[in-house]
Amino acid sequence: MLTTILPILLFAALALAVIGAGKRFLMWRRGRPAQVDWLGGLLAMPRRYMVDLHHVVARDKYIANTHVATAGGFVLAAVLAILVHGFGLHSRLLGFALLAATALMFVGALFVAKRRLDPPSRLSKGPWMRLPKSLLMFAASFFIATLPVAGIVSADFGGWVLALLLSVGVAWGVSELFFGMTWGGPMKHAFAGALHLAWHRRAERFAGGRSTGLKALDLDNRNAPLGVEKPTDFTWNQLLGFDACVQCGKCEAACPAYAAGQPLNPKKLIQDMVVGLAGGTDAKFAGSPYPGKPIGEHSGGPHLPIVNLNGKALVDAETLWSCTTCRACVEECPMMIEHVDAIVDMRRHLTLEKGATPNKGAEVLDNLIATDNPGGFAPGGRLNWAADLNLALMSDKQSVEVLFWVGDGAFDMRNQRTLRAFVKVLKAAQVDFAVLGLEERDSGDVARRLGDEATFQLLAKRNIATLGQYQFRTIVTCDPHSFHVLKNEYGELGGHYQVLHHSTYMEQLISGQKLTLGTHKGGSVTYHDPCYLGRYNGEYEAPRAVLKAIGIEVREMERSAFRSRCCGGGGGAPITDIPGKQRIPDMRMADIKETAAEVVAVGCPQCTAMLEGVVGQRPEVKDIAELVADVLLESAAPLKQGNPAPVAAMEVH
Amino acid sequence: MSEIIRRDPRVEWIARNRLHPLHAAAQPAAVSWMGPNGVIRKNPHGVGFIGPNGLKRIDRSGGQQGGSQKRSTASAVVQLPLHVIEQPAFHIVVVPDMVGGRLSAHDKDLLGLAHKLAGSDGAVVAVIFGEHKENALDCNGVDRLLQFEADGFSGYAPEARVLALAALERQLTPRHWLLPDSRTGGGELGRRLAAKLGVRPATRVWQVADGVSSGRAGAGREDLVQQAPRVVLAAVECAEPVSETRHEVRALALNEALVRHIPRIQDLGAVAVDPAQIPMAEAEFILSGGNGVKDWALFHQAAAALGATEGASRVAVDDGYMGRERQVGASGIWVTARVYVAVGISGAIQHLQGIGACDKVVAINLDPTCDMIKRADLSVIGESAAILQALIERVAAYRQGGARDAA
Amino acid sequence: MTELNIVALVSVGAHPLSGRPRRAEQDARAVELGLHLAGERLQVLHAGDPQQEALRAYLGMGLNQLKILEQPAHSDALPVLADYLADSSAQLVLTGSQAETGEGSGMLPFLLAEQLGWPLVVGLAAVEQVSDGVAQVLQALPRGQRRRLQVRLPFVASVDNAAPTARQSAFGPARRGLLTAEEVELVADPLFASAQLQPAKPRPKRLKVIKAKTGAERMKAATAKASGGGGQVLKDVSPEAGAEAIFKLLLEEGVLR
Repeated sequence: MLTTILPILLFAALALAVIGAGKRFLMWRRGRPAQVDWLGGLLAMPRRYMVDLHHVVARDKYIANTHVATAGGFVLAAVLAILVHGFGLHSRLLGFALLAATALMFVGALFVAKRRLDPPSRLSKGPWMRLPKSLLMFAASFFIATLPVAGIVSADFGGWVLALLLSVGVAWGVSELFFGMTWGGPMKHAFAGALHLAWHRRAERFAGGRSTGLKALDLDNRNAPLGVEKPTDFTWNQLLGFDACVQCGKCEAACPAYAAGQPLNPKKLIQDMVVGLAGGTDAKFAGSPYPGKPIGEHSGGPHLPIVNLNGKALVDAETLWSCTTCRACVEECPMMIEHVDAIVDMRRHLTLEKGATPNKGAEVLDNLIATDNPGGFAPGGRLNWAADLNLALMSDKQSVEVLFWVGDGAFDMRNQRTLRAFVKVLKAAQVDFAVLGLEERDSGDVARRLGDEATFQLLAKRNIATLGQYQFRTIVTCDPHSFHVLKNEYGELGGHYQVLHHSTYMEQLISGQKLTLGTHKGGSVTYHDPCYLGRYNGEYEAPRAVLKAIGIEVREMERSAFRSRCCGGGGGAPITDIPGKQRIPDMRMADIKETAAEVVAVGCPQCTAMLEGVVGQRPEVKDIAELVADVLLESAAPLKQGNPAPVAAMEVH
Repeated sequence: MSEIIRRDPRVEWIARNRLHPLHAAAQPAAVSWMGPNGVIRKNPHGVGFIGPNGLKRIDRSGGQQGGSQKRSTASAVVQLPLHVIEQPAFHIVVVPDMVGGRLSAHDKDLLGLAHKLAGSDGAVVAVIFGEHKENALDCNGVDRLLQFEADGFSGYAPEARVLALAALERQLTPRHWLLPDSRTGGGELGRRLAAKLGVRPATRVWQVADGVSSGRAGAGREDLVQQAPRVVLAAVECAEPVSETRHEVRALALNEALVRHIPRIQDLGAVAVDPAQIPMAEAEFILSGGNGVKDWALFHQAAAALGATEGASRVAVDDGYMGRERQVGASGIWVTARVYVAVGISGAIQHLQGIGACDKVVAINLDPTCDMIKRADLSVIGESAAILQALIERVAAYRQGGARDAA
Repeated sequence: MTELNIVALVSVGAHPLSGRPRRAEQDARAVELGLHLAGERLQVLHAGDPQQEALRAYLGMGLNQLKILEQPAHSDALPVLADYLADSSAQLVLTGSQAETGEGSGMLPFLLAEQLGWPLVVGLAAVEQVSDGVAQVLQALPRGQRRRLQVRLPFVASVDNAAPTARQSAFGPARRGLLTAEEVELVADPLFASAQLQPAKPRPKRLKVIKAKTGAERMKAATAKASGGGGQVLKDVSPEAGAEAIFKLLLEEGVLR
């Protein structure tokens, strides 16, 4: 009897799965077109899955091993089951293989079930609590049903009672694992996830690559939407990406805004996008809500606006403005979903179409347009900080080794100390450098994160035109935000440069023995990784190497390097200023205090400002450039000593 | 009272009367005495007295009596020379704002400018609507005063005022009309007058020299330089106020009777504005709280009792005690209050930047070394809650007393 | 929202620090007030160059179109605006109080009201109600104070910085909105025949001149403690004494009402 029921069940489930897959695919395709490498993506998918995705999952060994067992067992079992039970290839060999696969899957599923006994809060409950049972049921049912095939028991073992039980078990298993996969069950993540990996919007992220720059809006095309108003304004592969979410909540655990009690939860945001994609309310969401926003009050549909400024729609605007664009969620996401892209896309609509950048946002954008800096300072004062430093100007020198990109920190009295320290270092190393002076403009970072793509492109194009007039080998900057934008986001607009963060450049100077340095004497030091240097650009080593070179052994924080917690200063968050339960910099300062370090080394003007804004007793905040400048040895005497450097060089020869 | 030194018979009597309790004080400081070794000692400082000009005088005629105490006489007000214009060759008319019934600093500058323009032949006419409380019109350069009865000009009546000024124009045809380019009335009245007279005025004028006026133009990045027109709306500090002459303040009357008209704009009176609703940037009295405020309910109570607009430091806003729109400082709002009371605010540089334009700063703080104290005109070191509580009670007592007085 | 026909007059502004063209701050507030009062029906009018991109910043506030009476620079905007408004059905004309470029004398609303024979309200903060051709409005006074006025329609009103802050100008509507130009008769402005614009001279800070008749007074003035050298600090006083000192200062400054 089983031999008739099982194929029917299997093929029915498969057929339903195929229909569901088609429906789901059409649902994604409601999004805007995107260029993908259809075949190449599919061919690259297994590798992306096994290597890149596993690399992220393997940060948690328990779940990595569990997933390998369960998923590997399932894929094998599914293929073999179709062969054995679907097509009736009752070979003993296949039978034993199927037994092994289901056994493996069963063991894996046991571990899944174990994790679900007392799940951490980041995990979604609801249907996800059912999944381990479904997995066990599938594995157990097929195991028992395959025993006769392997010849371990006789074909009529157990009689019709067992056959009935097994059919129920198989029915449950295949409905969850086959057609549940394409009809919106928890297993959807496998199906959508695989295709998402194949047709990912940032294919460069795989095979060790890095792609973090935001994608430009086509402002010349008047018909293209300015950002995302409704779910169908996303590109179709973004929608596919949302569907790949496995609701593991790693993003939620990493999100600084969520931890600060601001109304953002990256996981919920992605799930809301899925709700928008299919239409409905968020009532079925079984994870943590946006802090302070109860579940069940929001709803949307593919063609309905995501944000309603005068009421409730799918997502509230303040959720989108809470993000610091620190990319911690993207870094943690095992499905490689691009949360930040989605958030900025939706912000673009709010800023460019609705003119609804909250709080100081509008003022900052107006300032950027009128004065090229977010503070609205007179543009003529951009070089005042260096009035006594006698810096060479690009307009005078035309061609230099290093173009020192000063950034808007030029207007900030605190940051001017950093800038002066770095100039001291450059001069000590006798670097051939110059600044743009009054020709420099804001890099456009803040404008872009606030969704004002038009102002970003305006600033970027003018900067690219300015830079185009001069010859230089590299751009060096103390500001990771400018660094990121110049390096990764100007390319799309035609500006390709070699850009270095000042920590990287100092590391090169030190390893090139251009600097004679003493040792740091100011007490223990910890180092805070800026998001835009670390996660955005993968530079974790150079700052640490610089600190090591001046005799500092960094007391690492628990959350450092790629897990570094944001200072709260990115993405225009201090400007949009969405209230939460606590402040992100306060939380970061608590991390810093845990190391009992007396100094926290930073490499970013934003981080400096945010961390120095923490009130009460706290470690001193110092830029790496300041720490290095403090221990420079040959101070103010390079001319007097004749030319020691060339002599030393001769000796080396 | 004159500065002539007179004998004081009473002091002389006290000096003679050894039993008088003030006898010792009335003695002349000993000038010479026998030292312990029989040598005569002299105290040259004890000799003489301080004369009326503040210089020491030694009177060897022996007429000096009654000790060497400095006699305190009220120093006489120096009589400034009177500037008389009998037959003015022309008139310069000034319409001062008279905020609160007195000449404002702006008005005084304007009268100074008027005098510069009038020279020695012209007369400066001040036009005042209604009653005033100013008693130094003469020292500020008013040669002629045209004072209109309050009737018809009270409250907001710009149209009636312009009609009155137009009548004066027909009578005097002044060479210049000078009005303060202020938000307190002059700016509006001057422009209405210019429009009525069909004269293109010079506005925001900060200098008139040799008949050429310079005024700010546009957004203040340019100056408009032109022959000074008949109507000049001048900015603050357009000239030095009159200080060296007295003037007649001779009353002037309008020859023609003013025609009554029906106002097209009717003043329904001032609207009570809740201090809390006043935009921070405009508020004139701000009570601002920071990290040191522990009892926010008391803080709000104090603000209500004082009738102050509430402000906050960044920390207080970050901690959620106050709304972001209440944040004072470089990244918040730049305020221009006349009195700014900072409670428990240590004074980060950004905050001090934001209160740069405030007249008087009062600090209430526990830490006597903080930067806010350095900026403040008055600082009280102590627990803010106790001081605020005491302040609330003091103001309540004052208000009650005021009510009793009125009753 | 009232059923008024409102026209807001706008000009091209200049940023006070960089001098770049932008929407003029006060004019934008006039548009904001107009949008509050009339919503979609607000008409916005400019006399000048229709090619000026900065005008799009007004469109970005959510206007569908902006009407332009085409004029070259240094023309007199008054007659053309007066003609246009006299023929229109406008009941309320909103303007800023002062232009950010050119002369910026702030005379336009006054002259316009004079020519049209309409009353003028300076510093309009809000329109409370309109009935029987009479509007009840709030006028902004310095220091956040308000005065209630009654004025007959139609009237001209200027707004200053006490009016509600202008909303953000968004790129999308700014790009989509229409700038419709209309040819008008040209009237040259005679001003620049006799006057010229120069870069603003910094104004000297007024020095405290001491006028003393005697040497002693001069000495006293010269040795007097410079003002601003730190204020009075009351330490170790009872809260009552501290409060009393503060109270006295508040009373002297006249901020206690």
